[in-house]
Amino acid sequence: MPAPFDVQRTNEETRLTIRGSLDINIASALADEIDKIVATKPSKVAVDLSALEVIDSSGVAALVKLYKGVRGGGGAIAIQGARDQPLAIFKLLRMDKVFNL
Amino acid sequence: MVATIRLSVPGTLRYRPIAVRTVAEAARLVSGSIPRDPKNPATDPLAHDIRDPFDTSVVSAFMEIFNNIAIHAYQRKGGGTIEIEITPSQDAIVIEVKDDGRPFDLEHVVPLPADLDEESLPEGGMGIHIAKTMLDEMTYEPGPPNIWRLCKRLPATQVAVGRS
Repeated sequence: MPAPFDVQRTNEETRLTIRGSLDINIASALADEIDKIVATKPSKVAVDLSALEVIDSSGVAALVKLYKGVRGGGGAIAIQGARDQPLAIFKLLRMDKVFNL
Repeated sequence: MVATIRLSVPGTLRYRPIAVRTVAEAARLVSGSIPRDPKNPATDPLAHDIRDPFDTSVVSAFMEIFNNIAIHAYQRKGGGTIEIEITPSQDAIVIEVKDDGRPFDLEHVVPLPADLDEESLPEGGMGIHIAKTMLDEMTYEPGPPNIWRLCKRLPATQVAVGRS
């Protein structure tokens, strides 16, 4: 099984890929990674959710933290590829518009 | 087809996947949804597959209630059980979830901001909102035991489709 998330850094962007289930049992490990990403004050972050199957409110909270952290540091962030249950959750929370999904 | 499935798990997040998978399979009994490409060995046979809107609603709501019990009622320390009773019928699923932890103050859950923008994006308090919105009925009786009752009905267009 591939890791639930990984980070790739290039000169242009920091890319966070999240797969499978982003739930309360993954969110705390992801929160550490998010702190590291935000600390580098990246100019451009891409979050790839195309392999994400399921999210819960703690997963959403982790993504909100990343979004606010990157924007607060003056960077741009794009959340891409949300589908199925995760997209339904973002729509329910009316975050689809803010995240431009 | 009205039979009740009973599951009792320790009240910690470690047992969450077992409970969630059981609920997902019970939802599938009602919705008649077919798991994604069961013949493809590359897909994880244990992964949640809840693309059907009914399954999505039931599982999303249940996950939040389980989290709530493990975190608030049992304070992430466990020490009690979560009793789950799932009753799938032809056109609905009813899930009763009981715990003996601290009662939850449902009245004091802060609603989501009316105008959501970058500034007002919430970082918490979303779980109950998700559960309530995803379900047709959600009630909570503080205890002990604390009892959550969740009900989701299958849309009329979907009833009796794909089931023998």
